[in-house]
Amino acid sequence: MTVNVLSRVAERVYWLGRYLERAESTARLITVNGNLIMDLPVRLPLGWRPLIDITGSGDLFESLYGKGHASERNVCRFLATDTRNPGSIINSIIGLRDNARTVRENMPRITFEYINELYLFARSALVPGQSRSRRGEALTQISRLAQQLEGFLSQNMLHDAHWELLRLGNYIERADMTTRIIDVRTVDLIAGHHELEPFQDIQWRSVLRSFYAMQAYHASVREPVDPPLVLHFLFKDERLPRSYLRCLNSVRRSLRELPRNGDAVDACDDALTALRETDVARLGGMEQSVALHQFINDCQIHLSGLHDAIVSTYFE
Amino acid sequence: MTIDWRTYQAADLYDELVLPSGRARSGTGKLVQAFAKLSDDELVERKAAAKLAIRSMGITFSVYHEGTNIDREWPFDIVPRLIMKREWDEIARGLKQRVRALNAFIDDVYHHRRSLRDGVVPEDYVLKSREYRSRCAGIDPPYGVWSNVCGSDLVRDADGSLYVLEDNLRVPSGVSYMLENRAVMKRIFPELFEHYAIHPVDDYPSELAACLRSLSPRDVRSPRIVVLTPGIYNSAYFEHAYLALEMAAELVEGSDLVVADDDCVYMRTISGLERVDVIYRRIDDLFLDPRAFRKDTMLGVPGLVRAWQAGNVALANAPGCGVADDKVIYTYVPDMIRYFLGEEPILANVPSYRCAEKDHRDFVLDNLQDLVVKPANESGGYGMLIGPQSTRRQRDEFVRVIRANPRNYIGQPTLKLSTAPTIAGNTVEPRHLDLRPFILSGKDIYVTTGGLTRVAMRKGSIVVNSSQGGGSKDTWVVEPATLVDP
Repeated sequence: MTVNVLSRVAERVYWLGRYLERAESTARLITVNGNLIMDLPVRLPLGWRPLIDITGSGDLFESLYGKGHASERNVCRFLATDTRNPGSIINSIIGLRDNARTVRENMPRITFEYINELYLFARSALVPGQSRSRRGEALTQISRLAQQLEGFLSQNMLHDAHWELLRLGNYIERADMTTRIIDVRTVDLIAGHHELEPFQDIQWRSVLRSFYAMQAYHASVREPVDPPLVLHFLFKDERLPRSYLRCLNSVRRSLRELPRNGDAVDACDDALTALRETDVARLGGMEQSVALHQFINDCQIHLSGLHDAIVSTYFE
Repeated sequence: MTIDWRTYQAADLYDELVLPSGRARSGTGKLVQAFAKLSDDELVERKAAAKLAIRSMGITFSVYHEGTNIDREWPFDIVPRLIMKREWDEIARGLKQRVRALNAFIDDVYHHRRSLRDGVVPEDYVLKSREYRSRCAGIDPPYGVWSNVCGSDLVRDADGSLYVLEDNLRVPSGVSYMLENRAVMKRIFPELFEHYAIHPVDDYPSELAACLRSLSPRDVRSPRIVVLTPGIYNSAYFEHAYLALEMAAELVEGSDLVVADDDCVYMRTISGLERVDVIYRRIDDLFLDPRAFRKDTMLGVPGLVRAWQAGNVALANAPGCGVADDKVIYTYVPDMIRYFLGEEPILANVPSYRCAEKDHRDFVLDNLQDLVVKPANESGGYGMLIGPQSTRRQRDEFVRVIRANPRNYIGQPTLKLSTAPTIAGNTVEPRHLDLRPFILSGKDIYVTTGGLTRVAMRKGSIVVNSSQGGGSKDTWVVEPATLVDP
């Protein structure tokens, strides 16, 4: 590594990576949930509330919209356009743009223009209370623009320390989102809402679709959709770019390219060890819901420890 | 219709390109012809091409507007301004002379005050200047140079004579636009560059880097140079980032730097602390260090001035250099040149009246409607009275402020700034302009070839500041002898 990076710039680049991933995955989440709901009978309890739980913002949501008001309209507004929600898509894109503005010189010149286009699009296309089809189009486009941006950076940015920091942000956010999606969906499933049982298959498929991984599952596992196999696939299949294992390995690879990486690599190895020592497939059984939830909780504690190690090593 | 120079109205003004008869001024013929040959469509096309180039090159400046910052595209006129090489050489000599004298004066102010004792400049004016920093006394910046980067504003009056309007000794900006203007012109008028021997301007970033390197307190092969910016909300942030990139220097904010117990300056990086040798600061003195000057600054670095005093880091420009960047002190520059250099000034000052002196003040107060009145320490064209364009109420207000604080004001005759043809719609009209060359002083002294030509884009206006509707032009220093026929 020949070029040194200012701590402030490093922090901005890291958050740029996180916000980009967050905007993309939140858009994807809303879309997939919308599709799932269309397949379920109206009387079923499953609705939009799980999305609030996935993003870990139940308290904020209730304080803004009231308890028991997790309607499609409210949840979509909260997750997409509500500037009072720090994790909303619009705020992620604003955060992305603000961070990009200050690190303009560390990326290809055109990058800021692309990010600005994404911002302008989100501003005009995401409107509270819009129809499902309009919303679907807007979210798909946002997800696509965000993925294009990631692809563009990967292909055109100098793969120096800035790049590794961007990847750290990407992968930590991705690992976080992967565990959250599994947590809420599967706990919900495993917790035995018996009336949901006939629709289990549809739900597991929707989990896989949240990761664009339906085809990948078939190609990799070559078995029907089955909870233990799905869990193993999403946690431990190194070939799946959004699997938890793959995210951690990518974080580790990026850390190895950075100076003074001792604490952060240790934190990453702790998370990897915990994963290796856990038989995640076994947690797929109906009676294992509490254990699975506990394991995912541990994963998130590891991720936040990893984040803290990065912050204290590089940004302070 | 295409451009018809016979209808170009620059009568009773000095136009840089066109004579009152409508004929080209000596040496500018090729350029004037080239523009006359463009059809309406071509003119619109080139203008659009320039706009596109500016957008895609990301040349912007920020304006604080209704609570938010807006990046505006840099307003640019496609007709270049020409200066003959022979005239320019003389101007460059004059600028070097001026900056040498100014630096000698500042160094004297903070050391022996010989010039004050000898009455060259009244001591009171200097020591009571808002820009005088008592704690800078006795400090020895490298080569005795306090203002390493100076931007002097030149104007031409109706009779063709050239004046220095002011010397921006603190944190002058605009040089990046000079460089970008040239890059835009090369893109949209490459053929013009075949017909003229135009002196390049692109060496500025290397010259600036060399100048800054020459200030390094450590004798190392590549001293660490940083550009200190107030941040993205500053109107000149584009320039700060641009220069840092061009010099391969680090662009830092105050929070990136720290002064350690050894009184050295370090920047915080992912590899830990890294020593900094030279800081090209684009932050005003008062905001540099909460321990030295304003305590409420969020932009500065605690202990920075101490590190500078200890000789562990170079600051360009040196704090305190603004003492000579005061419109009252300005009126003494010709005397400084005679006193410190024993030479006659090559470049003239605009005749000025100091309101602190009674006969001058009376003259100013009696002739407000004909004069320009300037406060001693404002920049960007703020706080001025332009007599001929003023209202009764504005003049009454100036009578009051001048009487209340005469030390703070000077009066000058309203110059009829020279003009140059500028695109307006699909024809050209004269617009007033000035010129800001940049002078670098370190181990050596260097003057940009030409400088930034600023244009008042509104008809009749003489305010060229970008914050107030000004634009710019590429400035060509050319050798008429090397003109090539198309």
